[in-house]
Amino acid sequence: MSDYFESEDILKSYDSALMRRLLKYLRPYLAVFLLSLAALLASSAGELALPVIVQRTVDAHILPYHRGLVVSKLPADQLERLGKLDPALRIGDIQYLRVSGLGALSALEKDRLRAQGALLEPNYLVLRGYSDSEAARRVMASRPSLFRTVDGVAVIAEQDFRSLKPGERRALRADDFRGLARAAVWFFLVLAGVLLFTFGQTYLQAYVGQMIMKDLRTEAFDHTVGLSLRYLDSQPVGRLVNRITNDVETVNELFTSVLPSLLRDFVMMGGVLVALTLLNPRLALVTLATLPPVLVLTLLFRSRAREVFRRVRQAVSRLNGFLAEHLSGMRIVQLFVRERFSLGQFRERNDRLLEANLGEMYVFATFRPLVDLFSTTSLAAIIYFGGRFVLRDLVSLGTLIAFLNLIRMFYEPVMDLSEKYNILQSAMAGSERVFGLLDTDARIPEPAAPKALEAVRGAIEFERVSFAYKEGEAVLRDLSFRVKAGETVAIVGYTGAGKTTITSLLTRLWDIQSGSIRLDGTDIREYSTASLRRRVQSVLQDVFIFSGTVAENIRLGSPISDERVRQAVELVRADTFIDRLPGGLEARLAERGSNLSMGQRQLLSFARVLAHNPDVLILDEATGNIDTETEKLIQAALVALLKGRTSLVIAHRLSTIRHADRILVLHKGELFEEGSHAELIARQGMYYNLYRLQYLDEEPA
Amino acid sequence: MLREFRTLLPYLRRYWPRYLAGLLFLLLADAGQLYLPQLVRRAVDLVASGGFSLAGLVPPVLLAIATAGLIALGRFFWRFFINGSSRRIENELRERLFAHLQALSTTFYGKSKTGDLMAHMTNDMNAIRMATGMAFVSFVDGFFLTLAILVILLAQNPRLALLSISPLPVLTVGVILFGKIVGEKFKSVQEGFSAMSDLAQESIAGIRVLKIFVQEQAFGRRFADKNRDYSDRNLSLAKTFGFFFPLVGFLAGLTSLIFLLLGGRSVMEGSLSPGMFTAFFAYLQMLIWPMLGAGFTVNLLQRAGASLGRINKILAEQPDIASPPPAQARRGPLQGDIRLHALSYAYPGMEKPVLLNLELDIPAGSIVGLLGRTGSGKSTLVNLLPRLLDPPPGAVFVDGHDVREYDLASLRSAIRVVPQDTFLFSTSIRENIAFGAEDADAGLLEKAAAISTIRRDLGNFPQGWETVVGERGITLSGGQKQRVALSRAIAAQAAIYILDDAMSSVDTETEEAILSALLPRLRGSTVILVSHRVSTLRNADRVVVLEGGRITQEGTPAQLAAIPGFYADILRLQQLEKILKGHG
Ligand SMILES: Nc1ncnc2c1ncn2[C@@H]1O[C@H](COP(=O)(O)OP(=O)(O)OP(=O)(O)O)[C@@H](O)[C@H]1O
Ligand SMILES: Nc1ncnc2c1ncn2[C@@H]1O[C@H](COP(=O)(O)OP(=O)(O)OP(=O)(O)O)[C@@H](O)[C@H]1O
Ligand SMILES: [Mg+2]
Repeated sequence: MSDYFESEDILKSYDSALMRRLLKYLRPYLAVFLLSLAALLASSAGELALPVIVQRTVDAHILPYHRGLVVSKLPADQLERLGKLDPALRIGDIQYLRVSGLGALSALEKDRLRAQGALLEPNYLVLRGYSDSEAARRVMASRPSLFRTVDGVAVIAEQDFRSLKPGERRALRADDFRGLARAAVWFFLVLAGVLLFTFGQTYLQAYVGQMIMKDLRTEAFDHTVGLSLRYLDSQPVGRLVNRITNDVETVNELFTSVLPSLLRDFVMMGGVLVALTLLNPRLALVTLATLPPVLVLTLLFRSRAREVFRRVRQAVSRLNGFLAEHLSGMRIVQLFVRERFSLGQFRERNDRLLEANLGEMYVFATFRPLVDLFSTTSLAAIIYFGGRFVLRDLVSLGTLIAFLNLIRMFYEPVMDLSEKYNILQSAMAGSERVFGLLDTDARIPEPAAPKALEAVRGAIEFERVSFAYKEGEAVLRDLSFRVKAGETVAIVGYTGAGKTTITSLLTRLWDIQSGSIRLDGTDIREYSTASLRRRVQSVLQDVFIFSGTVAENIRLGSPISDERVRQAVELVRADTFIDRLPGGLEARLAERGSNLSMGQRQLLSFARVLAHNPDVLILDEATGNIDTETEKLIQAALVALLKGRTSLVIAHRLSTIRHADRILVLHKGELFEEGSHAELIARQGMYYNLYRLQYLDEEPA
Repeated sequence: MLREFRTLLPYLRRYWPRYLAGLLFLLLADAGQLYLPQLVRRAVDLVASGGFSLAGLVPPVLLAIATAGLIALGRFFWRFFINGSSRRIENELRERLFAHLQALSTTFYGKSKTGDLMAHMTNDMNAIRMATGMAFVSFVDGFFLTLAILVILLAQNPRLALLSISPLPVLTVGVILFGKIVGEKFKSVQEGFSAMSDLAQESIAGIRVLKIFVQEQAFGRRFADKNRDYSDRNLSLAKTFGFFFPLVGFLAGLTSLIFLLLGGRSVMEGSLSPGMFTAFFAYLQMLIWPMLGAGFTVNLLQRAGASLGRINKILAEQPDIASPPPAQARRGPLQGDIRLHALSYAYPGMEKPVLLNLELDIPAGSIVGLLGRTGSGKSTLVNLLPRLLDPPPGAVFVDGHDVREYDLASLRSAIRVVPQDTFLFSTSIRENIAFGAEDADAGLLEKAAAISTIRRDLGNFPQGWETVVGERGITLSGGQKQRVALSRAIAAQAAIYILDDAMSSVDTETEEAILSALLPRLRGSTVILVSHRVSTLRNADRVVVLEGGRITQEGTPAQLAAIPGFYADILRLQQLEKILKGHG
């Protein structure tokens, strides 16, 4: 098969120009978008805050371990480096302070202090607020030796604390319990905030995405139907539809899925890094050190993913193109008993898609587990080095736990990266194709100052018109002829002579390369195409019926009264079959009118033009599939309608053109003969030949 | 809904070893995942104990890395086996569906839209793939992980465990309920999409009509309406989604909160070790995904069920036009003798018959013309012969046997048709003409092209035979399309040729040239010529006139010309002679 369906070109890579262009569509919704970003930031901040709250709670209330320093044994410079110490925790010669408070001292110094007995070994619990509690005081009174107290603060070594009964322990730590409860309330509030903001963000984001998509889609549709046939004929319909629907859909992904989550990921990863650094710069450095392999892996993945992505896309569009065509042409496949052949073609495409999909799977199946492996390795590194730092009192246990949680949060976006990258790719590819379509400027040019086209008399003039669909393949050559206002002129000629082409040129479906076509003395390029086409309309040789009702097919989108529709239908004698359809004019027709006979479809298309009441009427094989009797009835009815109206009639059945005032004989894009029927017969030229073949050797009785 | 999945059974039966292997690797990965927090706990407890040596940390750390390696391996291979299988099943099912579609008749295609069929081949297949891949994984994952984590948590501290996970069942139930709502909204979104996409499809396919009647804007407005409607449906879906996912986070957060409160107390009271506290936290976090997964499995299965339902409906669609069982099927060279006996036909679902009680004998090798008004049933009649439409039993006979007794391929190969509604593939002219003649050599193709006179036009095309004709032959003139279709039909030898108004867009001189070459070429075969042109019918041995689904006249062209009736009327109307005289 040819590459008609296959030449689906794929983007190079992420393109900032493309992005900038997309952002233009964002402008009308910028306020909402910014609001959604604000909500995003708020919810991300909340999500980051949650583990911090947990860490704080653990350090401050659940495991509030302190160390004891014998101040008198401490060198002055080291004391100074420890900064401001809490005077409330100075009991006698011993200053208690948080484990993390010792961070200013090096491990070596601490080892030395420990050896000198200046740094006490055990973990201490600092108890506050016990004086308000009857129970706590009772416990303390019963074991005074375990506690050191001063001014409402009591200190107890952790081992000693564990030796107490549970009830006693609870009583002593009432203050911490209250702290825990307070933290829980905070936790809950933040959680609720996250819920609210995430909802707001998701919805607003969806709103923005949908609005952008709607705008883009409407624009793409309007643009596409405005393109010239030169372009449209060169594209499979399915591909254009895909541009307007699915490709725009992927652009939506960009706004609702990729951009926000990318942003969120950046915020999260950045936030985690900041949090790590604030918590403990050293441990943060360890984390950073584990990153380069992940980076390398990601880069490798990116290039591989791009390749497999392209293969999948190509395979998909090849298969879909094949399917679309063969499903609509299945009759032909069946008639010619080519099921096995086309199944073979299908299989080849289907298998190619499988291969591409499997290839993609391998890339993805490798990436995610590897990132996960790195994340665990990084976790292990944190544990090891963290443990080392804890050992030297550089890090508190709570900080270490917080690190372990934060690392997970850091790696999550990296792991999702594979999926997101895929979405990003297809979104970029999609938007590139949509913009490619929007940039296609194959239009019939409109005049800058269109001439008004009101009362059309209908004088048509072709002057030295040359035209080719494809460069170098001239279809009309230096063609000149005139049609007087109100005249009925027939065009006959061999198949492929260029008759249909003339009608397409007159309605400016295509533009000529040289010469001039004039309507009422003015070049048709000086009118707006819309006003020209409202005056000059044709029954197309290629009948097209829309799925929908009969009446809809006649009216299309124009405001045409019921009577006019009825009239048009009766004029072409379509009423005889329409009235027999269930629902009459409101009967529903299938795709392309497949539940009507060919002639019936043609009658509908004829009625459509009559209902639109053009000033110049073109009938291109308008009754080619219709029996002569019906045709004659139509012609009789048309006489009144055609009076004073210019009409061009193209027909191979010469009986169709008997009412013509004049006949043009076209041959290979040139005017071969011209004249009335009698004149042409008398000339015994080409027309005579056509005529003789049809009618001479048989006479009715 | 589960019944719909029976279609997948044969595939699952064939792929079970792969699924089993995938399952084992999945379990390996899961086990590793469960083991990791234990290692972390060990390490943290060690650190928390205060008096520990760094060397003590080395084994858990190394073990953790080794475990992670195993997890990565497990993950790669379960994807390899399970996702690979689901892709293969998708591939096979799609092929099966296409093969089945090929067997379905015109009746089926008349009632289904091409766009919908495309959707079955793409979107529905995706949904099914998700069920055979993702859903399987999330089910196993969910089941195994949930169970294991629950056991671990309960074993270590049942009270704490139960209290902490209390919000999670709400989550699972929520997901299932949500699945229902989303399912409906999703369907509504899909419908909106089809409506919009269908309109775009028709607008572009019918672009010439739009342009001629200046309806670009009117259709643009219609499109904008459908487009807006589609966005609205999407937003309504987004509202549900937008609420649901944060809610999941919220419920998951609640478990953490409950645990923080209760677990924290236990740590303070000394009844829970700090390491245990950390591990518990990690396990709880791990529970969220399987709980969510359980709900999503249900969702995926629901969606796949719906998709399978649609596909099953097509697969269950018995090809209403099919060969009889091979043993009974008649085959083999046909002479081309046609007989109609009391043939009446009504289109499925229509009350009024289109053909009424037809009796007709067409001896092999004769040329029969068919004339009749628009809608009189000519195309219907000729479509019954190759069984594009199915005649009732005992009505249409070829070589003395009911067409329904023949092997379909054998019958159709013996009948070559030029349909009235020309359909060309968007390939080259050569491929189009060779379409029905597998073994035709260049000479035969040349001959077929010469007879239809399309050969003449090929000379004007720079690419000649290789000219690509565009979708449905859009870049050819009306007569060119018809002549390519004619060449396609005569490229291979057959017993019966049917030309359904096959030259309506061809001028009479060309038609004459075609007929004078064609009829000798077809000599010996039966030919049915449907035409509105007397000049064409004149070549027939006999002409049959169809009026309102009944045969009203039958005879040689000369006979019919001589008696009053439809044929003579038409003949007179087509005679310009009279008109000429009338005009002076
Ligand atoms: N798929 C269908 N479903 C229902 N009715 C149909 C279907 N196809 C055709 N008809 C109806 O059956 C009748 C006969 O149609 P048929 O196509 O056989 O006419 P015909 O004689 O070939 O006409 P023409 O000369 O216009 O080609 C018509 O009234 C038509 O509307
Ligand atoms: N869209 C197109 N793109 C390229 N070439 C085209 C296109 N439409 C027509 N042609 C070519 O232009 C030539 C004239 O075609 P046209 O349709 O005008 O012929 P016609 O006289 O109407 O023939 P017919 O009697 O068969 O309808 C033909 O050779 C045809 O192949
Ligand atoms: Mg034409």
